[in-house]
Amino acid sequence: MTPRRQALRAPDKLVFLLSLVPYLIEQQVIGVDEAAAHFGVPEEQIREAVRLIAMSGLPGDTGTYQSNDLFDIDWDAFEDGDEIVIVHHVAIDEAPRLAAREAAALIAGLQYLAALPENADSTALASLMEKLRAGASATPSGLAIAEPAADASLTSIRAAITGGRQLEFDYLNALGEGGRRRADPLRILSQDADWYLQAFCHTRDDVRNFRVDRMSALVVTDEPVADHTGLEVPETLFQGSSSDLDVVVDVAAEALPLLADYLADSSTAQIGDRLRVTLRLAHVHGLKRLVAGLPGLVTVVAPAEARTAVADWASAGLRGYEETSVPEG
Amino acid sequence: MTGSRAKPDLKIPVEDRLFSLVLALLATETGLLKAEILSTVRGYAERYEKHGTNANLERQFERDKDEIRELGIPLETVESPDRPGDNQALRYRIPKGQYDLPDEVRFTPDELALLALAGEVWRGASLSEDSRRALTKIRGLGIEPREPVIGYAPRLRVRDAAFEPLRVALDRRQQVRFQYLKPGELAPRRRRVEPYAVVLHEGRWHLHGLDVDAEGLRTFLLSRIVGQVEISSQTFDAAPEGIQDRILAELDELRLSNAADLAVTAGSDAEVRLGKRAVRGDEDAGVIRLHFTDVAAFADELAAFGPEVRVLAPESLRTAVRDRLRIVAEAHAAAESEEIR
Repeated sequence: MTPRRQALRAPDKLVFLLSLVPYLIEQQVIGVDEAAAHFGVPEEQIREAVRLIAMSGLPGDTGTYQSNDLFDIDWDAFEDGDEIVIVHHVAIDEAPRLAAREAAALIAGLQYLAALPENADSTALASLMEKLRAGASATPSGLAIAEPAADASLTSIRAAITGGRQLEFDYLNALGEGGRRRADPLRILSQDADWYLQAFCHTRDDVRNFRVDRMSALVVTDEPVADHTGLEVPETLFQGSSSDLDVVVDVAAEALPLLADYLADSSTAQIGDRLRVTLRLAHVHGLKRLVAGLPGLVTVVAPAEARTAVADWASAGLRGYEETSVPEG
Repeated sequence: MTGSRAKPDLKIPVEDRLFSLVLALLATETGLLKAEILSTVRGYAERYEKHGTNANLERQFERDKDEIRELGIPLETVESPDRPGDNQALRYRIPKGQYDLPDEVRFTPDELALLALAGEVWRGASLSEDSRRALTKIRGLGIEPREPVIGYAPRLRVRDAAFEPLRVALDRRQQVRFQYLKPGELAPRRRRVEPYAVVLHEGRWHLHGLDVDAEGLRTFLLSRIVGQVEISSQTFDAAPEGIQDRILAELDELRLSNAADLAVTAGSDAEVRLGKRAVRGDEDAGVIRLHFTDVAAFADELAAFGPEVRVLAPESLRTAVRDRLRIVAEAHAAAESEEIR
């Protein structure tokens, strides 16, 4: 997994420069490759930054940036050995404090991770959050997250991943079909409060995403997992494929973000006060649940079978209330 | 190495100018006058006109100051004791003691790995930029992280358009205005709120703050904010500390005070998924009890299960789910029935 590299904006570059300087001072002698690995950036970004740092400094009393007021590096080591040695530094030697919002973002991220069973003992997380608060230049803003504890079976899944063991479990798929599965666990994905296991399913002989809350009778077997290097593992949870179902729906503008994962393309058309978009789903069973969970916000336009499936699903639900309904006054 | 490396005809990149400004302001104890900064600091000095107004350069400096402060760098303005109120006599500096990450803030390799994972949570959200900057700064400490936490790809999506403006307003302590559709009301009403906390509870983002017109503390659901959130220039004093945790505790209390009894179909998705959240269950009867915070939100969730779940109690939830199913059924009824209506 290599993260997509985005062009850095000037404030990001400034943060990088201010963080790189104390690192280089502390390391004394460091290879460009090691520094790049430490910050998780391309080597060329390190070299560019070092060149900039080496000609930066203070205007000084005369306002002319004299050499004594500038950073200096061992140019021979840099140009011949690809090594960085800062031989003179000015003004900074420590890492900068975090902005309040930067600390708040990490604290909230940690609160989300608190839902994981391995973080159930919250003292380690609490002390880490306290450090982030102490490292911020102002009180972090009031952002907080409470997620219900994730399914306890994640503990076993985690153990299977780290131990390289196969898993066996009962699984109920979105079509309502149950069955015993055997799988090599690859990783745990989450999306908001939902947790998924991405695994190579021996039963289906392919990579599948399993909703953890649809798994039961989970067993970590003694069988080692197969070697899956080179296996194409999808980055995202929802993958379109040619066998999928394209469904045209009208959606209220405010609800469009809720469908973002299912949009087949980016085209929208204004139809009255609604937006007409095309969704791509694996099958109609997922669609009926999606639409029924957004009552009044999404209406299926086509195909007719999809419309009927949604109508049948909601009507069947409604009948449950009519049969047992108390007379309304 | 002399200053001759900075050729005046060379276009100085923005980060170069910002870096030079930060260095200059960190190195001064008494602070620098704006005129001194513009005439000497690299990135400004090349464009400084000795007898000109330098209006463009001054505006540039104002924007740069804001950018630098946004990064959490404590750029201070000091008034001249002899000439208070005189803008030309203002001095600027960055006190080193407030710039440096305090000595006690050091992380273990394990903590570093956990922080990297916490940053991962915001992939694709606006908070990822802030997380990334924080992690870069922390890497400046030179601590080598333990191997990254493998096997996890956590992600929290932020899908409410109101979230980003509210987070900015929260950070800058600025009042916000928005139209809010309260459940049970037909038309949205305009609110003016001092935002104190934005919290995620049961999968929904809430804003807590002072409703200026109602003169009281209120909690709003971000999903019920209609249209744009306007940030006003009016600021307010710091919110009570830890208020976000108190609000979460209150929401949790509310959740525990609401209980629903549900009949679930054996072997269904509803039985498996809702059953895992049940606080009490009678497997033979197929009845489970769950806590919930908000009737409308829970009813949406239950409606998705269609015939797999039937609400037994409370009546308010029963009605809400039934109404939702009716809306969906009617909206998707065959075309001929549409003509009849």
